[in-house]
This record gives sequence, C-alpha cells and structure tokens, in this order.
Amino acid sequence: MIGKMTRYVFGLLLVTGLSAVHAQVRVTKSAGEKSTIDLSGLEVTGAGGQLFYQTLERDLLRSGWFTPVRGAGEFRILGSATADGRDVKAEVRVYRTGDQRSMMGKAYREQVANADRLAHRAADDIVEALTGHKGMASTRLAMVGTLSGKKEVYLSDADGGHMLQLTRDNSVSIAPKWGPLGDKLIYTSFLKKFPDVYLIDVASGSRDRIANYPGLNTGADISPNGQDVALILSKDGNPELYVKNLASGQLTRLTRSVRAAEASPSWSPDGSQIVYVSDQSGRPQLYTISRSGGQPRRLTTRGTENVSPDWGANGKIAYAGKFGPQYQICVIDPRTGEINQITRESADYEDPSWAPDGRHIAATRTQNYRSSIYILDTMGDRPVPLMRFEIKGDWFSPAWSPK
Amino acid sequence: MKKRWFPVVMMGLVVAIAFTGCKTKRKRGGLNDNVGGVVGSELDIYGDPLGARPLDGSMQEFANQFMPVYFEYDSSSVGPSERVKVEEVASYMRSNPTMDIIVEGHCDERGSREYNMALGERRALAVRAYLIGLGIDGGRIQTKSYGEENPASMTHDEDGWAQNRRSEFVLFY
Repeated sequence: MIGKMTRYVFGLLLVTGLSAVHAQVRVTKSAGEKSTIDLSGLEVTGAGGQLFYQTLERDLLRSGWFTPVRGAGEFRILGSATADGRDVKAEVRVYRTGDQRSMMGKAYREQVANADRLAHRAADDIVEALTGHKGMASTRLAMVGTLSGKKEVYLSDADGGHMLQLTRDNSVSIAPKWGPLGDKLIYTSFLKKFPDVYLIDVASGSRDRIANYPGLNTGADISPNGQDVALILSKDGNPELYVKNLASGQLTRLTRSVRAAEASPSWSPDGSQIVYVSDQSGRPQLYTISRSGGQPRRLTTRGTENVSPDWGANGKIAYAGKFGPQYQICVIDPRTGEINQITRESADYEDPSWAPDGRHIAATRTQNYRSSIYILDTMGDRPVPLMRFEIKGDWFSPAWSPK
Repeated sequence: MKKRWFPVVMMGLVVAIAFTGCKTKRKRGGLNDNVGGVVGSELDIYGDPLGARPLDGSMQEFANQFMPVYFEYDSSSVGPSERVKVEEVASYMRSNPTMDIIVEGHCDERGSREYNMALGERRALAVRAYLIGLGIDGGRIQTKSYGEENPASMTHDEDGWAQNRRSEFVLFY
C-alpha cells in the first residue's frame, strides 16, 4: 500500500522539451550565502495549487541554498499550479533575473493529495539546475517513534509529511537503516522475544529475519552494493563486529576484542571499510577496519565518548561526540582527521544520519528527556524540527533514505 | 487446552535438554576455578560461545523470581555486593535441573542506544560467566540485552539510573 502511492508519485513526472536549451550557468556562492528566488510569478488555484506553492517555498528555504521571496529576487519562478480533475498539474520555469536567462523548465502532474510531493520534486529539480547540488526534498526518513506506546518504525517525507507507521511488532524496534536503493530497511526487533535483525521490503511490508544467533543481534547496516550486512553479534561470547553475506549466509568475524564491546557499524561509500564504535580504550570511540578484517585504526582520539557514526556518500563521517555532559553532532574527514562540530546547544544531539544531498544531517534532539528529530545543516543554517507540528511521543534514531 | 499440551511439551523439553547436555563440551573445563566467588580477568569470562536458543515462542517464562544484579556506571563487572544474588540463582538452578534461565542486561538512558545494546549484553555475559563459574552448564543460560530500552525506573536521576543498570533473571522451561 505504501508502494502504490510512491509509484504514482514518480510515475507521472513529465519533462518538457524546454530542458535542452537551458544554460549550464550555476550559482557559485560561498558556503552559507543564499540566492533570493522570487515565487510571485507562480500562479496557483485550488487547494492543490496552494499546497504546491507553500511546499515549494518551504522546500527551497530548507534546501539551504535559497531565500524565497515574493518580489524581486536573483531568480524568478514563472508558471502555474492548477487543479485538473482529481490531479494537480504544475508547470515551473526558472529565469535568472539579471539577463533573463532560462535556467530550467518542467511540467509535473500528481493527485491533489500528493501536491506536496510534486512540489518536493520541483524543488529538487530547481536546486540541481541552479546550484549543481542534489536536493533532498523528495527523499524520506525512517525513525523510531513511541506514538503507539511501543517502539515502532515510522516513515515520513523529508519535510515530516506523509508520516506512516511501518512496523506493528508491539515490542521494541531499534536503529532502522536503509538499503542502498532506498527500497529496504534493516533494523533490530524483539518481535520474537530476543533482539534479532530483520530486513523489510518497504513497498510490500514483507520481511526476512536475517540474524537470530544466540545472544545479541543488532546494529545492522547494508553494504553499498547491497550484498552484505555489517552487524554486531555476541554468539561467540562477546559483542563483536561481523559481516554477513545476504545470498550465502556466510559470516566473517572482523573484530576479536574480548575485553571490549563493539557497536554501530557503518560502511564507507566504496564498501571497502567499516567505521564502528569500540570501548577497547576504556571509553567508546570510533574505529575503522577493512571489510575483510585485519588491524582496526582508531579514528577519534579527543573527547570522552564518540559514538553513532554514519559514513556519508560525501566521504565524511557524522557522529555524536560527548562534550561535558552533552552529546553534539560532529563531522570528521577520515582522510585528514579534520573535525567540524555542527551543533552547539544546551540540548543533546545524537544518532546522526546524512541526507543524500551531502549537506544536511538528521539527528535526535533531546531536551528535558523528550526526543524529536531535527534537521541540521553542515553549512550553518539553524537546526529545524522535522515535523511541523508536534506528534505525541518520543521520536529518535532517524535514517535518511539514500534517494 | 494448555494443560493437555503440557506433558507433551515437557517430554520434548526433557529430551531436548538431555541432548543439549550431551553435546555441550566445555573446552576449558568451564570456569570452575572461580567457584570461590572471584571471577577471573575479563579475558577468561568473555569469548565462550553461547548455546543454541530455545525455539521461538516455545517457552514458559517466569520473571521476577530473583533480585536483579546492579552495576556501576559504564561497567559490566559483577561487584562483590551483587555476587550473593547470582549464587542464589545458581543454587536454585542446581536443585531445579529442568529450569533454564535468561539473563537480561539493561543500561541507564545515558549513552547511545546502539552502544548500550552491546554494554547490556556484556553485563548479561558477565552474570552468565559467574553462573558458569558456580558450576551451572552454560547451555542452560541464554543472554538477552535490552540496552536502555526497558528501564525499571522512569526517573531521570542518579537513583533511577542506578536501578536501571541491572541484570534480571527470567526462568524458563
């Protein structure tokens, strides 16, 4: 039922013949600087048109590259979003105000109820045409929520819209992660009393239990080629890092640290390495290891605790570092060791997950023991809540879809 | 309905346990050297492969029969004051050989959820090692980490956290 809707969204995207003549000129501004973009030339009618307009405006703001305005701007959007039976159709053209150069033009069509998703597509097309960077408005997030009273996996769009409950395990769900194609989720559930690893096909909801060894089965992350899963197992008497091949079921043990606990593996973008947490130094710190094993390399040396790594497609590793009593999100470049602290607030930020735009990070923000998901910007915009209105319960462990 | 199945299930379990017993070989002669009450270095207690799990949903469970074992912050050592609780469990298991046990490991809410899953498992494994040291067959002891997901106390202070850093015992057959 989830898949039907999604397919409808993507199935009806139309591209006009205008595309070919658009200039390859792009916005070249330094980090944090934004271009103004004028939406007043976009004519809208009906509820679907209104939803399209408001969503597009908000998406462009959240992309981090633009300041939407309703008046003179560096770029100007022309076109329309109007109802057509049960659908809303939109036509979007973008011009550079200075020389009237055409930057992009596309037409879209979608059910009225999904007019916001249509705007997400348009926003990502505008971001890519004007900046050369991928957008993230039409991607999704998985997270754990306590709305039902139990810890279940939920899905939402990147703006918090179209929230839906994916699992009904009626137990505890932990740390969902997306497969490389964005069609599967892997997570830990106590569905059958013990912590086991399950792989869910998001469209059909069907699932496979892929690890239920004695003891602990958790922390699973699917490799970039989709063939292997890195995970934490204790079947040999201690929590250690393993790689399991999904087709053959073959297990490879990577760590042998009977004095220490391992946790939270995350694959490098080329699939050759894994970053993970180990407390072999006495405190949890980040280490990298080859996917075939060998000597681990300690990555973080500063701070009392560095946990929850997520190795982004941009090559950088986001993680939660402990500063005094609080966790803040940092990004480390594993090649140079250079660290950037992203959050500096009197709240805990944990569980970072890179957006596919390589710029934003979803994280759990906890204040006064209440948790919700925030979207962070590595280029300086303030953190914003994922959800535009409060939903009952705690929300944590976000995972941003790869597409 | 339930009662009629009972003898059949029990017979099956007795057979299963008997076979498990035959198969279990303690490579290093278990940890019986530690019966004096002092668990050896961590190198001795971790790295002992776990026994096969009971079948999904086939168990009758009895929680809260024993006192929880409490742990220091970020520690998985069974402290001197907690050992008598494990000894009580060992004594019960010796006199009730058809009962097996799940040792749960729990953490307080501080720290990452995923790391706490590993820390909780280390706590459960430490208690399991202590039971083995007291002569209980490791094949009778399952471990289950809940990380920070099932707190005993919902208060967010030192007292609440101390109550949450624990191992609980669930008997099953």
